[in-house]
Amino acid sequence: MIGLVAGFTYYWLKRPAAPADTATGSPSTPVAGGRLTVTYRSEPKTFNRLVSPQLAEELVSRLTQATLLRMNRATGELGPGLAREWTSSPDGLTWTLKLQDGVTYSDGTPFTSADVVFTFQALFDPKVKSAMASSLMIEGKPLQVRALDASTVVVVLPAPYGPGLSMLDSVPILPRHKLAAALEAGTFAEAWGTTTPPADVVGLGPFVIQEYVPGQRLVFARNTKFWRKDEAGRTLPYLDAIELQFVADQNAEVVRLQAGQTDMMSKEVRFEDLAALQDLQKKGKVLLYEAGTTIAPDMLWLNLDPSAAVAKTRPWLQREELRHAISAAVDRRAVVNTIFLGEATELAGPITAGHKGWFLPDLKPPSGGAEKAKELLASIGLKDRNGDGLVDDAQGKTAKFALLTQKGHTVRERSAALVKEQMRKVGLEIDVVPLEPRFMIEAWSKGEYDAIYYAIESDSLDPARNPEFWLSSGSFHFWNPGQKTPSTTWEGKIDELTRKHSASMNADERRRLFAEAQRVFAEHEPVIYFAAPKVILATSARVHGATPSVFAPHLLWNAERLFIK
Amino acid sequence: MTNSLSVFVLRRLLGALIFVVVVSTSALVLIRLAPGDATTDMKMSVADPAAIAAARSRLGLDRPIWAQAASWIGGLARFDLGTSSHYGRPVSGLVVERVGNTAILGGLALVMATLIGIPCGVVSGSRGGAGARVIAAASILLVAAPPMLLALALLYLAVTTGVLSVEPGSLLLPLLALALPMGAVIERLQSRATADTVHTPAFVAAAARGIPRARVVWLHSLRASLQPVLGVYGIIIAALFSGSVAVEAITSWPGLGRLMLDGLLSRDVFLVAGCALAGSFLVAIGNLTADVLRAFIDPRIREAA
Amino acid sequence: MRAIFLLVATGLLAIVAPILAPHDPTTQFADKAYAPPTRIHLRDATGFRAPFFYKQTLVNRLAREYADDTSAPISLRWFSGGRVATSGDSTEPVLLLGADALGRDVFSRLVSGARWSLGVTALGVLGALLVGILVGGLAGTAGGRVDSMLMGASNWLLAMPGAYLVLVLRGALPLVLTTGETFALISILFTVATWPHVARGVRGIVAAERAREYAEAARASGAGLWRLMSQLLPAARGFLAVETVLLVPALLVAEATVSYLSLGFPDASASWGTLLQDVNVRVMSEAPWMLAPAAGIFAATLIAQAAGARVPQRA
Repeated sequence: MIGLVAGFTYYWLKRPAAPADTATGSPSTPVAGGRLTVTYRSEPKTFNRLVSPQLAEELVSRLTQATLLRMNRATGELGPGLAREWTSSPDGLTWTLKLQDGVTYSDGTPFTSADVVFTFQALFDPKVKSAMASSLMIEGKPLQVRALDASTVVVVLPAPYGPGLSMLDSVPILPRHKLAAALEAGTFAEAWGTTTPPADVVGLGPFVIQEYVPGQRLVFARNTKFWRKDEAGRTLPYLDAIELQFVADQNAEVVRLQAGQTDMMSKEVRFEDLAALQDLQKKGKVLLYEAGTTIAPDMLWLNLDPSAAVAKTRPWLQREELRHAISAAVDRRAVVNTIFLGEATELAGPITAGHKGWFLPDLKPPSGGAEKAKELLASIGLKDRNGDGLVDDAQGKTAKFALLTQKGHTVRERSAALVKEQMRKVGLEIDVVPLEPRFMIEAWSKGEYDAIYYAIESDSLDPARNPEFWLSSGSFHFWNPGQKTPSTTWEGKIDELTRKHSASMNADERRRLFAEAQRVFAEHEPVIYFAAPKVILATSARVHGATPSVFAPHLLWNAERLFIK
Repeated sequence: MTNSLSVFVLRRLLGALIFVVVVSTSALVLIRLAPGDATTDMKMSVADPAAIAAARSRLGLDRPIWAQAASWIGGLARFDLGTSSHYGRPVSGLVVERVGNTAILGGLALVMATLIGIPCGVVSGSRGGAGARVIAAASILLVAAPPMLLALALLYLAVTTGVLSVEPGSLLLPLLALALPMGAVIERLQSRATADTVHTPAFVAAAARGIPRARVVWLHSLRASLQPVLGVYGIIIAALFSGSVAVEAITSWPGLGRLMLDGLLSRDVFLVAGCALAGSFLVAIGNLTADVLRAFIDPRIREAA
Repeated sequence: MRAIFLLVATGLLAIVAPILAPHDPTTQFADKAYAPPTRIHLRDATGFRAPFFYKQTLVNRLAREYADDTSAPISLRWFSGGRVATSGDSTEPVLLLGADALGRDVFSRLVSGARWSLGVTALGVLGALLVGILVGGLAGTAGGRVDSMLMGASNWLLAMPGAYLVLVLRGALPLVLTTGETFALISILFTVATWPHVARGVRGIVAAERAREYAEAARASGAGLWRLMSQLLPAARGFLAVETVLLVPALLVAEATVSYLSLGFPDASASWGTLLQDVNVRVMSEAPWMLAPAAGIFAATLIAQAAGARVPQRA
């Protein structure tokens, strides 16, 4: 009897660890099933990614389409997508990509190289006027894409290109069998509008559109024919469905997340909500992720176009000393503390710590404060001549300019108000004018503005992927876009350095060249930067498998890996 | 219905139709005249002037204003309200969805205001005592609290005590914010009408005849106050709409006001015209109903119309 | 009589308000974002002394926690720098109603915003009265075709919800205006939206007066249109008084609505409606003093009601 009890006890103590509860599994084992609810603030105007670069269209594309190569948005590394391996010619210009086998579209039609060729054909078609075309050109020439056979594609770069094939991460490979007719008929740009029946929006992505109720929700269901599998060979995606709920503003999003009604928000957490969410994290209701420092910091630039009206009426506006004065006078610590509640770092240029290897930690913003600023203003003739506390130009008129910013964007409106207040101490009067983005952009494109406070999203860490900003001929060279020849020597210098680092295949050389470009930029400061906030993301506690990224869509870029427990 | 009533209704209907068409067309014209237009946001994504010009012609923005207005009126007959440039969808769909929400909110608020205001007014006008004084005091406070402020106050209460739902899309908060001030106005009117009736000879005589006081009060004062209260309905309906714009914005109720604001800010010509159409339609229907009720009750009104 | 007093008081307050502000409404005090209202003390360990307050220090930036530094009392300074009262230390503000997101004194912003809100209201009411008296008086005196035309136009405007009318008109104009332009424009829009209310009432009263004997007599003895009108108008005095008392709070709320929807005064010259834009669910629970402008409008409306003392007759 005792032996039996002893034996039993021994067995009881030594029994193998109980397998984890089958209902939940261990935290790292994915479970299939579940519906993820995400609140989102803008609606797509079309399902045709080639035609519109807006964030909503990009999200739909990421979920329903696939690309040849796929960039890991957390590490920045390029990995296989629809192409399983790729090799280049010795000169680095001709790449041969072998496509995955046995892949079919969500409607069962087999995927072949013809779809790849078709996609690029549509992309570069002049009648389509794709917004994406310019970002796939090197030195103004398009990529050449041709099929070698049904499962091999050859991509020829028109010139040596530092970033290599990373641009292929942004091109969704569209179904030829669904869209060829529209391309033939010249109606491709209107194809796949939001009234298209969901079953017609066919793709190679992890999800398909199930339902779109304008103004309310956009629901994606698992693509049962999705070709990717996880390391254990399980089919992806894990989730059954993703529901995007459209809400008007971020307050509504936060309220729902806090109440446990939704799983995810469309954008990063606002710092005024952070304390409350940290409390919820302690209670185990919410998970917070720090993705890094933003790569899209807010910027202030002035109209430096020599042919603009301000060049004649207020020439002091275009002087470099003015920009240095603003940069010296604004207390960046105040921006970090007041606007971002301490969760940001002071910034001297467009490249932040979020840009990883490209960042120059030793590049510091100008110092000197209000005293230096007053000196600089005086050096271009702006002094307080009538004792009213405000500086005046040579004619005795109060020197002032209008700073346009995005209406409704709390951070930018507040930052602009802060800049205005700081410059008032130095005597420079600024009018802050919040405008709907469309009108601000109109004023900018017409060159009818003094200064703008804004930011744009970026889809790559590599500066060579952003030639429109760095090159003086670029369309997003904000302070003076589309120049035929560089209007200043330093812009010419940056042009030269940009061309060199874009064409170089040597990583160290590229970094060195770009560092020099950053220093020239900082010396002349055509755009003033103040602070770079952290990117913090939040999900409900039941969401797992998320890899946060500083790029939008921050958590949905690899939605096929998300699972709910 | 008697002949004169039907004539009255028909004339009013015609007037309402003209009202609706004129208001919405003027909205369209106003927005066309406004500086800036709907193609401005294209400049960021498609910087090609030919594409922008193509979009302008697709949206009808290169046609003269009167031509666009004329074809829009023509479209009305087919219930074709054009396509929204901001949302890329037919305006009729957008507007129907939102106008329904605003109609629900406004309609329920009106009903609630009446159901609260009239009984409270009878009570406070027909007797003294603590109850009547409490009602009167509450009314005075609520009349001073326009829907916008009451919405903020209720939101504050909801947030601090957790009693009401703050969820965007929940009806209760905006409903209370609109109904309570209107109810207070009705209460004040009803109270005075009741107080007046209580002193009329007819009333005193009825009371003297031994008819229970309560019954006399309710019957007489209700009948007496019907005209003034119904008469004020027109103003109340207009006030409800005005109030709903701010209330919808504060409580995130997806109504017509917000949609119109979006259209105005994005210079979406058809959307604004469509919203003006729907809004004036609701106002006209509300006024028409109130007027018909009054005419039904009091034949003199039909003649004077 | 009380009505005139109300209107004049509104206008005067609008002009005088800024000296009541302890600080400049645009000054952003460092490390004071959403600081709670400062408590004014009258006595310390040594007994009574002139009103003073303690410096507020930041304890937790993310959670917006502040604490009073009892080792650093600061006295108030009276009648200096063009202000009735201000802080004795220019870097440490006395925040009677706390601070907003940028560390600006809410009380100062409230009092300075009164300038715009009350000013636009006073001008709007004045304009509505003037235009309404003119149109209503003409219609009531002349009768006939003139009457139907003027009242037709008036009824059309009356049928439309005021807020929609003002918003559409405002939205149809350039979206960006200077403060002065905004002030003038909003006053004009308010006049346009409200004169029909006045006109309809005046017309009714004048028309009724017109039918009386003395008016007939005057007409018969050759009085012209204008002379006649000036004789009939005084009968509308009572109505006008009631209308004024109604319009003042109505326009105050209208201004708040327009500015709240970003079509009114900009942040640099914030009116009460603009100030309410900063209020959302989170702000309400953590910084309830931001609701001060709403309380201000409510108080103003109550005062107006007290001046009128009763709901008007059906116009």
